[in-house]
Amino acid sequence: MIYVINDIITGALIGLLYALVAMGFVVIYRASKVFNFAQGELVILGGFIVWYTTFELGLDLWLAITLSLLLSALAGYLIERIFLTKLIGESVFSMVMVTVGLLILLRGIVLLLFGPAVRPFPVIFPLKPLFLGEMLIPMNLLIGGLITIVAAVGLSWFFNRTRAGLRMTAVAEDHVVASSMGISVKGSIAFAWVLGAVLSTVGAMIFLSGKSLTFLASEIGFAALPVALFAGLESIGGLILAGVIVGVAQSLATNYLDPLVGGALGTVVPYLIMLGILLVRPTGLFGWRTIERV
Amino acid sequence: MTMSLKSMRRALLAAGAMALASALPLKAQEETRYNVALLSDFSGPYADIMPILAAGREKVIDWWNATRGAQLGVTLNYKNYETRYDAAQVASLWPGIKSELEPIAVIGLGGPDVAALSERLPEDKIPMFMATAAYGYAWKPDSWIFNPRPTYSHESAGFLYWLRQKRGGDGPIKAAIMASEASPAYVDMAKGLEKYAEEHPDEIELVEVIYTEVQPTDLTAQMRRVARSGADALIIQTNTSIVVAAKRGLQANGADVPIMMSSHNGLPASGKALGGLEQLEGDYEAYGMAIAADEDTPPRQFYQTLSDSYGLKAPWNVVTAMGISQGLFAVTVIEHAIEANGPEGLTGEKVREALFAEPITTEETHGFLPTLSFTPEAPFPLKGLQVNVGSVRDGKIVVEATGAAIPNVEKW
Repeated sequence: MIYVINDIITGALIGLLYALVAMGFVVIYRASKVFNFAQGELVILGGFIVWYTTFELGLDLWLAITLSLLLSALAGYLIERIFLTKLIGESVFSMVMVTVGLLILLRGIVLLLFGPAVRPFPVIFPLKPLFLGEMLIPMNLLIGGLITIVAAVGLSWFFNRTRAGLRMTAVAEDHVVASSMGISVKGSIAFAWVLGAVLSTVGAMIFLSGKSLTFLASEIGFAALPVALFAGLESIGGLILAGVIVGVAQSLATNYLDPLVGGALGTVVPYLIMLGILLVRPTGLFGWRTIERV
Repeated sequence: MTMSLKSMRRALLAAGAMALASALPLKAQEETRYNVALLSDFSGPYADIMPILAAGREKVIDWWNATRGAQLGVTLNYKNYETRYDAAQVASLWPGIKSELEPIAVIGLGGPDVAALSERLPEDKIPMFMATAAYGYAWKPDSWIFNPRPTYSHESAGFLYWLRQKRGGDGPIKAAIMASEASPAYVDMAKGLEKYAEEHPDEIELVEVIYTEVQPTDLTAQMRRVARSGADALIIQTNTSIVVAAKRGLQANGADVPIMMSSHNGLPASGKALGGLEQLEGDYEAYGMAIAADEDTPPRQFYQTLSDSYGLKAPWNVVTAMGISQGLFAVTVIEHAIEANGPEGLTGEKVREALFAEPITTEETHGFLPTLSFTPEAPFPLKGLQVNVGSVRDGKIVVEATGAAIPNVEKW
């Protein structure tokens, strides 16, 4: 029984990591209605920045982390300025397709700049797990889970209670209307990309702490996709619940159902949950229901 | 227009020289050229090791052209094709490769090449030579794809057989497997050993079979189960990232279960990804090929020849050794085909026939591979199977066992 509880806790914490990566999807979507297919690539870009500042520049870990977050913010800002700012007012489809192009481009840039070698990633969180009697909780995931909850609470407050956050929500509704109301559409979208890139870098630190880094780590972007769609693309708070449900379901399926069916169910379960909820509620569990006047 | 006597004499001399040149059997005109296609992964899961593996096999062909090929009047041209370790990519590239190169042989990389081309190569009559261990799903008669090593399951069974003897005692050795469903080859590695363990419970007791992603999020809980089960060894023949995540999981649990890796995710690559080879102290790599240890062996000497005389830049490690052994395996078979048929009119079919005609001796592969005798029954030699075992002792890779016997693994 203790193993089952342990698997549930670990699964919930992995789900919270997915939720953190999915938060990058959501902040960009909430400000621009753009679904960023390059979210996983933002994670590896952040990961490589952390690796570069710690191992190549040899900076003190905390200085390297601070500099990495600043550089990620700059990268997010530049991505918006170079690729998306000219598309304001154009169809959402065009902007989404740009993110698909961005996925391929970022992967190429990472390969070009850093090469394909598997590299050690700095140990940012303690390697020794927390032991609670017979239970074992990985420290990186535990701290990561706390960071995810704090980030979700903070961002929910920002989007729902602050003027800047509400402006970003208005931008997501309609670029032209928001612009005519005197809201800086460019500024809002740029800020969303900065936030998305910073969240991705934090996600990379939790995901990769003490492990290895290659461009294949971008797969976590797709692992976070069911969490984002399950929660509803506008709901930051909903990501916590969605992350925990998806993580726990995946963990239980991997540990207890995979051996019975010969594997693979653990990787499929998050997508089955996602498809199930989208069939019943296309906007996701906590997504906005749009009321249209006829 | 007039021409001076001097100019006329020069013109006559030049014309005479040209006539003589065309009549003489010049070396360049004697040379027969054949093409070999190299399948590579510079941007997929093996992009980290591909440059040195590719360098190893390419420099062997350069060496062969300059030495054996020059004597036989044959030059082998080669060209790399990027497959991203993806079966769909291999399948889509293949018609272009065939029409562009008209190769007499293909030098493949891994499972996706086998999955994509095993049905096509018999029709096209072009053999493919691999560097890796073989796959259970490709274990069929009349193959056109050939591995110098037995299957991964043979190699892991051979390792466990050796470890059990080393440990002593009558009880079965307890082993755990870590694999991934990201590639059919990874699943195959686990399935073969599972079948062998099922049929030989007195030898191997499989305590855990764990599947994970190619870049796992966290394996602490899984490694706790492995440690608690009392596993004597953890078999990971997938990739470096999984080895790193498993090692971190074991370290987090304060557990010391030795990991066995294969050649493509072996000790140097995994040690580098962990931040130091010393973290793999007591872990193993095992495969049917020479161990790239520090000792002055014939393979090491041949590597040095390639480095000194042919510009090989790759370091002396298992991946370079894998590329060199593959190159030597392929050029030796082609050489046998030339010796049997003459340099003219060589075809893929004749190259394949040469593979069965005579053994590829360990001397011909400079000790990189044992003597290999192929038969049409299987894509790898069925007799005299051996595994070599390397380990990390005091921060250095050492040879633990050479030519350890592989038990009789049945098809799965």
